[in-house]
Amino acid sequence: MNFDFSPEEQKFAEEVDQWLTENHDPVVMDHHRENFTQLADTPERRAFMKKLAAQGWLGMSWPKEYGGQEIEGVYEYILNEALSKHAAPQIGKGVGIIGKTLIRHGSDKLKDEFLPKVLHADIEFAVGYSEPEAGSDAANMQLKAEKVDGGWNLNGQKMWTTSAHFADWYWVGARTDPDKSKHAGLSLFLIPMDHPGLEVQSLPTIGKDTTNQVFFEDVFVPDDYLVGERGKGFQYISEALDLERFTMFTLSPIANRTDVLVDWVKAAQRDDAPLKNDPNVRRTIAQIVTDTAVAKGLSTRFVCAAKDGGGKPPTIPSSQYKLFTTSLSQRVCKDALDITGHEGTIMEGQDEAPLRGRFEGAYRATMNETVGGGSSEIQKNIIARRHLGLPKNF
Amino acid sequence: MDLDLSEEQQMIIDTTRAVLGEHSTSEVVRLMEDDPKGVAEELWKQLSEVGFNGLLIPESYGGGGMTLLEAAFFYEELGRFMAPVPHFVSCVMSAGVLLEAGSKAQKETWLPKIADGSAILTTAWYEPGRGQGEAGVALEAVSSGDGFVLSGVKRSVPYAAVADQLVVLARTADGVDLFLVDPTSEGLTLTFHQSQGREPHYRIDFDGVQVPAENRIGAAGSGWATWNTVMHDGIILQAASAVGGADRCLMETVEYANQRVQFDKPLGAFQALAHYMADASTKIDGGRVLVHEAAWNRVQGRSVARFAPMAKLFCAETYRETTRVCAQIWGGVAFTIEYDVQMFFRRAKHLQLSWWDTPYLEELVAADVLDR
Ligand SMILES: Cc1cc2nc3c(=O)[nH]c(=O)nc-3n(C[C@H](O)[C@H](O)[C@H](O)COP(=O)(O)OP(=O)(O)OC[C@H]3O[C@@H](n4cnc5c(N)ncnc54)[C@H](O)[C@@H]3O)c2cc1C
Repeated sequence: MNFDFSPEEQKFAEEVDQWLTENHDPVVMDHHRENFTQLADTPERRAFMKKLAAQGWLGMSWPKEYGGQEIEGVYEYILNEALSKHAAPQIGKGVGIIGKTLIRHGSDKLKDEFLPKVLHADIEFAVGYSEPEAGSDAANMQLKAEKVDGGWNLNGQKMWTTSAHFADWYWVGARTDPDKSKHAGLSLFLIPMDHPGLEVQSLPTIGKDTTNQVFFEDVFVPDDYLVGERGKGFQYISEALDLERFTMFTLSPIANRTDVLVDWVKAAQRDDAPLKNDPNVRRTIAQIVTDTAVAKGLSTRFVCAAKDGGGKPPTIPSSQYKLFTTSLSQRVCKDALDITGHEGTIMEGQDEAPLRGRFEGAYRATMNETVGGGSSEIQKNIIARRHLGLPKNF
Repeated sequence: MDLDLSEEQQMIIDTTRAVLGEHSTSEVVRLMEDDPKGVAEELWKQLSEVGFNGLLIPESYGGGGMTLLEAAFFYEELGRFMAPVPHFVSCVMSAGVLLEAGSKAQKETWLPKIADGSAILTTAWYEPGRGQGEAGVALEAVSSGDGFVLSGVKRSVPYAAVADQLVVLARTADGVDLFLVDPTSEGLTLTFHQSQGREPHYRIDFDGVQVPAENRIGAAGSGWATWNTVMHDGIILQAASAVGGADRCLMETVEYANQRVQFDKPLGAFQALAHYMADASTKIDGGRVLVHEAAWNRVQGRSVARFAPMAKLFCAETYRETTRVCAQIWGGVAFTIEYDVQMFFRRAKHLQLSWWDTPYLEELVAADVLDR
C-alpha cells in the first residue's frame, strides 16, 4: 500500500506544475469558468493546446506506433489534474474518447487522418450522443442514418452537444439498423462540423458557457467515416465513457474550491470579529475538508483500479467516485455561499462580492455535474446492480 | 500509488476472519450483551494465541511489533464481527499510553502480559457531566507523602470488572496526569452500568484512593499530551472498526433485499432501496481508503493531526447512517431483538459518541485547517 505517487510520477507532476506556472496566462486560465475551463474554445486556448502538444503531453498513453509513449494512464490523470488545478484546458475528447476508440477499432484511413492531428492539437471535437429522447437512456438515439450509395444519409437532431460551436469534427452516434435491438442498431460516425447539412443552435446555460443543439438535414457521410464496425457504436461509446467519467470530473477544481474557501475564511471578518471563530463555520469547514479527503481517496481507488485492471475499465470505482464527488462539489458551493452569507448573493465578477463571486458562479456552474456524464441516479443503478448484485431496478 | 495488500496483510485479514468467524458469532455476541464481564473468553484466548493482542506491542515486550496499518485491517474485522473483547482499551489505549510515556518498569511489568492476554488493562477517562477534552478531566489527584490520593468519579469505564489495572486520567497540580491504579485499591468502588453498544461499562467512585508515586505514567503534567497522541492512533482504529461494522451490516442487508419479496419483486428491485445501498457502499469504500491513508501516513511518520479525526468523523457517521438505512430496508423486523441489524444500529451510534464525538473531531479538523 502506498498513497504517494512514485518518484517518476511525482517528478512528472512537478514538471507539469512548474511548466503551467511559468506559462500562466490569465486569458487561457480562469477559474471563474469552472467546468468550461476544460474546453479549448478560443484561439488563445487552442494555441495553448499546441504548446502542450509540443511538450509531448498529448497521447502519452497511446501505443508507440501511433505516436504515443505507451506510458501508464496515470500520467494522463496527473496531467489533467494539474491542468484543471490551473484552470487550463484539458486533454479531453481527442486523446481520450476519439483517439482511444480509433486506436482500438478504427480503420487505417481514419487513424492516419485523425491521430496525428490529435497529437498535434490541430483538431477539436464535439461529441454527439444525447438527443431529445436519448438522455440517460443513451442507447435510445433516434438520429437516422440511411444507407445510400457510397455512404450514409443522416437526418434528425442532437441535444447538448458541447463544443459544437467551435469544434472541427463531430463524433456522432446514429441509428443505422432500426430493425435490430436498441443497443445493436447504433453506429459511430465522424463528420466535419462545417458540413452544410448541420445547423448548430446555441443553448445558453446558467453556467458561464453554452452548449448546443444540432440539427441534421441530409448530412451525407462517406462509408469510410463510419467508425469501426456497423452496429458496434454503443459498445464503443460505453468503453469510452468509463474514461470520460474520470477525466471530465477531475478532483482538482473541487479541492481548489475547498482551498480557496479555507483561505478566505482564515482572513475574513464579520462584525469586526474573525469569521473563522464562528463555531458553525468551523464545523462546516471540517466537514467539507473531510469529504474532500474522501473524494481524493475514491479517486485514488479509481486510479489504482485502472492501473491494476490491465486496461479493464474500473467501472465501479469510477461510478462511486463520480457519485460522491459531484454531489460534494455542489455541497461545497452551497456551504461556501452559506458561509459568505448575504454578500454571497452579489453576482459573480463584481468586486463587492466575496472572492469576486467565485462561489456565486460555481453554485450555478456545478448544478449540472450530478446530471451530465451519467447522472447520480444512473451511477447508483450501476453500483446497485453490478457491485452489490441487486436486481435490475428500473 | 497502490492499494494492494501485502501477503502478510492479507494473512492478517484471513486469520482474523477465521478466528472471529468461529468465536465471535452472533450467538456469542448476544450472550456477552448482558454479561457484566462481557469478555468472550474463548475468543480472547484465541486472539492472544494468534498474537493479535500484542499486535502493536514491540517484539522486545513480547508483542508482534506490527504497524497501525496492520492494526487497521485487524480492526475492520473486529468491527465486522462486533467482537466482544477488551482489545481496544487494553491492547491499544493502555498499551499505547505505556509505550508512549511509561517507565521501563511499567512497560516491563504490563506490556508482556497485555500481549499474551494474561492481563487486561482499561482506561478510566469519561466523567459525569464533563466533556471529552482536556478540560473534562476533573478527578482530583492530590500529592501526599510519596504518592497521590485520588478522589472523584469516572463513568463508562469499559470492562472494569475484569481489569487488572486501570489507566486513570486525573487532575494534579501540574495539569492532567495518567496513573496506573489497582482496581482492588481501598476506597475504589465499581458500579455496573449498561451501554448502548452493550460494552460492559462501570462507574468508578474514587474515595481517597492511595496511589504510589511510581504509578504516575510519564513526567508531571504530561498526561493529556500522552493521551492525545495515543488517541490519534486509537481513533484511526475506531474508524476502521466502523467501516467493518457498516460493511457487514450492508452486506447482510443486500442479501436480505435479494430474498424478501413484496409486490412480487425482491426488495432490492425497488430503486428507492437500491439507491440507499449504493450510497452506503460508496461511503464505506471511501471511508475505508481514508482509514488506510490515515494509518499509512502514521506509519510513514507523518502528522495525522488532520487525517485521524477526519477518518473517525467520516467513518462513524457512515456507520451510523448505513445502519439507519439498513434498518429501514429490513422493515419491522429490524426493530426486534431477534434480528441482528439492531446490534449494528446500536453499536454504530455508541461508536460515534465514544472516543471523541462528532463536535470534538470537527473542532480538531477545523483547528488544523484554520488555526495553524
Ligand atoms: C451543459 C451540458 C453539457 C452536455 N454535454 C454533452 C455533450 O457534449 N455530448 C452529449 O452527448 N451529451 C451532453 N450532455 C447531455 C448529458 O449527458 C445528459 O444531460 C445526461 O445524460 C442526462 O440526460 P437528460 O438531460 O436527458 O436527463 P434524463 O435522462 O431525462 O434524466 C432526468 C432525471 O431522471 C433521472 N433518471 C433517468 N433515468 C433514470 C433511471 N433509470 N433511474 C433513475 N433515475 C433516472 C436522471 O437521473 C435525472 O435525474 C450535456 C448536458 C448538459 C446539461
